[in-house]
Amino acid sequence: MKQAVRDQLGRIVAAALLATIVWAWIWRPPFSWTFGVLVVIGTVGAGIADGRYALRRIASVIPVLVGVSFVVFALMASLPGDPAINILGPAATADQIAIVRTELGLDEPFFNRYGNWLGGVLTGDLGTSIVLREDVADGISRSMTPTLQIMAYSVVLALGFAIPLGIWAGYRQGTKTDGTINNVMLGFLATPNFVLAVMLVLFFAIGGLSVAGNEIGFRALPAARYVPLGEDVVLHFKHMLLPSLALAMGQAAVFMRLLRSDMIATLRLPFIDLARSKGLPTRRILWRHALRPSSFTLLTVVGLTVGLLIGGALIIEFIFTIPGVGAYIFLGVTQRDFIAVQGGVLVISTLYIVVLTMSDFLYLALDPRLRGREVGARA
Amino acid sequence: MRKRLGFVFWLAVVYLVVLALAAVFADVLPIKDPAETFPGTSKQGPSLSHWFGNDGVGRDVFSRVIYGAQVSLVISTVGTVLALIIGGLLGMVSGYYGSRVDRWLTATLNASLVIPPLILFLALVLFLDSEAKRRIFILVFTFVLLSIAPIARVVRAATLSWAGQDFVLAARTLGARDGRVLFREILPNVAPSFVSYSLIIMAGLIVVEGSVAFLGLSVPPPTPTWGDMINKGRTNLDVAAHISLMPAIVMFVTVLALNFVGDKLQQYFEPRESVL
Repeated sequence: MKQAVRDQLGRIVAAALLATIVWAWIWRPPFSWTFGVLVVIGTVGAGIADGRYALRRIASVIPVLVGVSFVVFALMASLPGDPAINILGPAATADQIAIVRTELGLDEPFFNRYGNWLGGVLTGDLGTSIVLREDVADGISRSMTPTLQIMAYSVVLALGFAIPLGIWAGYRQGTKTDGTINNVMLGFLATPNFVLAVMLVLFFAIGGLSVAGNEIGFRALPAARYVPLGEDVVLHFKHMLLPSLALAMGQAAVFMRLLRSDMIATLRLPFIDLARSKGLPTRRILWRHALRPSSFTLLTVVGLTVGLLIGGALIIEFIFTIPGVGAYIFLGVTQRDFIAVQGGVLVISTLYIVVLTMSDFLYLALDPRLRGREVGARA
Repeated sequence: MRKRLGFVFWLAVVYLVVLALAAVFADVLPIKDPAETFPGTSKQGPSLSHWFGNDGVGRDVFSRVIYGAQVSLVISTVGTVLALIIGGLLGMVSGYYGSRVDRWLTATLNASLVIPPLILFLALVLFLDSEAKRRIFILVFTFVLLSIAPIARVVRAATLSWAGQDFVLAARTLGARDGRVLFREILPNVAPSFVSYSLIIMAGLIVVEGSVAFLGLSVPPPTPTWGDMINKGRTNLDVAAHISLMPAIVMFVTVLALNFVGDKLQQYFEPRESVL
């Protein structure tokens, strides 16, 4: 029984992931539930595939999480200026300041404060935002949806561009086609995402450049604003297309270059010659036979780019006025709301670490070749 | 066989050199004052007297782009050089000594990568005040912090592959101290790989500086920065797109040129490793 599960592990895990996504899509449970289910699937999958590795990996993640929380807290605690004065404004009396300081626990020693804060964090209490007067955990989970949507759409778009182009360029390696694809993608790699975003708005939202009275561009898409998925599906995607594209193209270039070089390596292997000599059509060889073994580096890197995407999402949210986590943190920074910033940075870093670990776990569950030996996407 | 760097490579190098020289000598070059507003030229497109046109309040976009290059280039160059020294040293020590030192350094560096760069940046920006000098200092500090880990990883990998070579063993057998082996035997061989990589890091820093300036958190006005110009130009995007477009194009070409030169140099230095 156990052996049977292990043999089919890749399929079982993939099916479970798919089921979770469908479940999340239809029932829209709170973000933390979906995330929790995904973490459980990854951990159980990796545990079945290689229990010792999974345990060791989890043991190594915990000190990193504690370290990050400490760094974030220490950073915010060492901010110049008295937070109590920040809250009350410069006109506050000494008595008021003393009251607020006690409320925030600022008079206690540093490690007590860290302990209290960490205790709160573990029970889901990130404190109350200074400026918005709102529970930080609530604020973040509310802002999480748009951010995750942008990130998910841009990964899908990036893969949508990268996979066909990578396969094609790898297949036509060394030709003019290959060179052109490479150079165009190099161009996208060199375009900062905010520059691309401004260009996309210029050419697709507000009519582009006018040369001698003629418009070179379109007015087909909205330039800003966020429409929730539940409100209007078509409008939602219309509003999300430009922001996701702006974030996706740089990633597409990275993905495409990786896939291209792995494709070139795979296409040199004997089983491809065999498939060819059987008379299989090229398209089938490329998509069915060569793509799968060439895509594992790509999958790892997709996991790794989550951190970059979060940073990128921040600036994209700023441009397209989307109320995401990046915008939340940005607002906190401009208003010197250190409790909100502290919570936001902690949540994002934790998510990033968990996602990285999960991508290693899934990698292990999906690819039987890796079981029993040291894997680590980050080694 | 001699590899050639190609025409485009030299074109990119010339562009970068010209841009750097223009930025350095901006004060003595016969260009307009970046702060001067020319009456009646607001939002005017490119012309002979104002090559890149004028911005929303009639300032010369060309000279602002040149002065903006000062900020971008100074911050990214200083950041890269400092990161190169610290990251390079850490990477070499980590790759050369191996075992426990390596494990601790690698773990620390990996841990430092878990806070997404721009987010870390924003958290640090809370320390900023409006004084321009202090702001530049904090910007450079953050950029160094961001680029140490990637540089150290590349240098570590390169050091690992050189530390096992026979000539290193020979030097150690002859009684050379670790410091001498590291700096006289390994460093010259590792240098090409990290010099070319540093150009790519520098391109990355220009982008980060641009992003930060775009969010209005870099060096405060009136000092012109590319990111800030692109952001401010957005309000006039429909009537005078060149205000955003010009700095955007210059930034794109600069980043592209740096990436291209870095890539080419890496390819150029590669065969030497395989000869040994």
